[in-house]
Amino acid sequence: MPIAASSTSVPRRRPGGRTQLEHLLRNEWCAIVDVGHLLRFRATTISRRRRAVGLLAFAAVTVLAAAVPAYVPGAGTSERSVDVLVLLPSAFAAFQLLVLASAVASGGGRELVPREQLVAYPVSPTTDHLGALLLAPLNIAWLIQSWALLGATAYGVGPDRYLPAVLGSALWILAATAVGQVVAWSIEGVRRLPHGIATVRLAGVAVLAGAGLLQVTGRLGPLLDRVPTRWFVVGLVEGTTWRWAGTLLVMMVMLLAAVVVGAVPAHYAARLQPRDELRSESGRQRPLPEARTILGAMIRTDRSSVWRAVPMRRGLLVLAIGPGLVSLAGDLPWSQLTILPGLVASGGALLFGVNAWCLDTRGVLWRESLPVGPGAVFAARAWVLTEFLLVASGITLALACLRAGVPTAAELVALLCVWLVVLAQVVTASLRWAQRSPYAADLRSARATPAPPVAMVIYSTKLAVATTLTSLVFSGLARAPHWSLSVLVALPFLAWSAVRLLQARDGWVDPVERVRIVTTVAG
Amino acid sequence: MSEQVPRPVVDVRALYVRFGEVDAVSGVDLAAHAGHSTALLGRNGAGKSTTMRVIAGVVPPTAGSVVVAGHDVRREPLGVKRAVGYCPDVGGLVPRATPWEHLQLSARLRRMPHGWEEQARTLLERFELGDVAHRVTAGFSHGMGRRLSVLLAAFHEPAVLLLDEPFDGVDPIGVEATLEVVNDARARGACVLVSTHLRELAVEACSSVLVLRGGARVATVTARDMAGEEGARAYRGLLD
Repeated sequence: MPIAASSTSVPRRRPGGRTQLEHLLRNEWCAIVDVGHLLRFRATTISRRRRAVGLLAFAAVTVLAAAVPAYVPGAGTSERSVDVLVLLPSAFAAFQLLVLASAVASGGGRELVPREQLVAYPVSPTTDHLGALLLAPLNIAWLIQSWALLGATAYGVGPDRYLPAVLGSALWILAATAVGQVVAWSIEGVRRLPHGIATVRLAGVAVLAGAGLLQVTGRLGPLLDRVPTRWFVVGLVEGTTWRWAGTLLVMMVMLLAAVVVGAVPAHYAARLQPRDELRSESGRQRPLPEARTILGAMIRTDRSSVWRAVPMRRGLLVLAIGPGLVSLAGDLPWSQLTILPGLVASGGALLFGVNAWCLDTRGVLWRESLPVGPGAVFAARAWVLTEFLLVASGITLALACLRAGVPTAAELVALLCVWLVVLAQVVTASLRWAQRSPYAADLRSARATPAPPVAMVIYSTKLAVATTLTSLVFSGLARAPHWSLSVLVALPFLAWSAVRLLQARDGWVDPVERVRIVTTVAG
Repeated sequence: MSEQVPRPVVDVRALYVRFGEVDAVSGVDLAAHAGHSTALLGRNGAGKSTTMRVIAGVVPPTAGSVVVAGHDVRREPLGVKRAVGYCPDVGGLVPRATPWEHLQLSARLRRMPHGWEEQARTLLERFELGDVAHRVTAGFSHGMGRRLSVLLAAFHEPAVLLLDEPFDGVDPIGVEATLEVVNDARARGACVLVSTHLRELAVEACSSVLVLRGGARVATVTARDMAGEEGARAYRGLLD
């Protein structure tokens, strides 16, 4: 029987009389408070009006996506709505995979305030983790999938029970995002270890190969029927029962646990060097022979600025391969493939296109002193952006086409037309925004974004709405009796984009306007 | 027979530059000649960098006249850019391009004849950047970046060499190489303008000094007048 307290039973005290636990809790509380400080600091970079418009648009689309499908004829009663309910567990699982891939690609999630602006301040990795969680929705794929999940839930259960079900779906979206963040921080920690990059890449290839094997052997469907998310969906669709409350409670616990636990790998990763970025900055580049033309030289410089950036390379892989594989697994018909180019191109533009002049950062001043017309500079940047989006959407379509069978002429032409139209729309919109609202952004880190968070939400929403509506038009045209209809409809779209692109070019060519952009992105 | 006064290579008259509500430069006059180097001295925000950007053809003037190597910056910005070699005050490097790629782009856009590679290699060695010629500049230290910016400005042997804060954060070897570049340019008859807040180095690099305060010129003196303790006192007097 002990007669005195052992050294382990006495709480260890730090200078100042606090126990280690008290110290930890106090630090974590400060980290949470700092999220508010950083949010307020970030908010100052965007006008109050733009912030309000963006948030209102986001809220309005979310409410509409969650409510309108419940009142569509056949919602909750038709055979189609039953099909939607049956597919809902797979959709829940797919959303989890999507947020995970997005967080992994961005090295643990986006930065609330860029790293180089915070080096002088004692900002905890917990703050970084919570900030990244808050920024997770600023991603076009997250937005569209969330709205689709809410809409599918509402349509599946119908008007009588849609509110509790949609509430549950919303909670799943949040919990899945937080869980994805935990995994992403853990993978980022591994990536920063010796041989970590190779390990993560090998693991990625193994997962893809495993999924491919399941698909080829016909075992993917039965596996999807048994996904654990089925338990959550069953709990949500019966209305406000005890089972529903229990499901909500479990998801709430999942959410809170993931938010808290995520700080642990975030702290671990923060103690290690980001190897991917360091490798691309310290590695030797193979010298190429001199470009043959002036435009070629400009394009080559811009191209290296894009393809050597870690966030661009990782983002492109996720954007291109993710939707492609989902379409492949889902066996999408040609008429539905029209949605893919817009989705991927919009996501690609959000990697750098919406602030395309930031690629040179402070080098833009030197480039401006070179004897070349501003029109050539604009042409090179527009070309490189188009090329980037073309490659990304091309990979997606190539994957998606594999199981779609032989298309009719109308389906093929509709797909090619929508590809061209949305590329033109996205490039034009990006270059117009890059001219209207330039930002000083350094895209060195895998976690960097080209514009502040609220601006990213506004850009995401605008791109999503424009490209989705356009895609729906061409999805209808894919079923039209003659292929020429798609061409006829595409022409005015392309003409309008050309006019807008020339307007953006005129803005850049104007010396006063250009100096505003140049001095802003130079910081 | 009266001796003919040479025309200045850089001729700035009543230069005004306004950014929104801010007057960055308000009434600067400057005349710089071939074979001479002129320093622009002044405190932060005195208008040195903006004046340099106007002369480089990067920023258009709001009012006044600026003629560089016979080209009006407003009407012939490309002519100005061909005549000028410019080292900007901040960064001045494309982060994901290598020094060699910077040189390639410059050589191509300036239509330099074949054989520029030899000159480029010599300069890279002189600035001790030969080992990193094929590494992207994002991983460079501040001093390495400054040295490369000076190198890029001098590379094509321009008629007008504009160096904005070239000594900022540069080690003694880099300072020496930069002074050498200035002397070489002057010797081959180029007009050199060096903007800096480091009086001692300005005196060492240049023959005349122009002091700016609050976006306007307050004095033009010889470098000798700005040297030593006496010069430091005179400089402080001009800044107050």
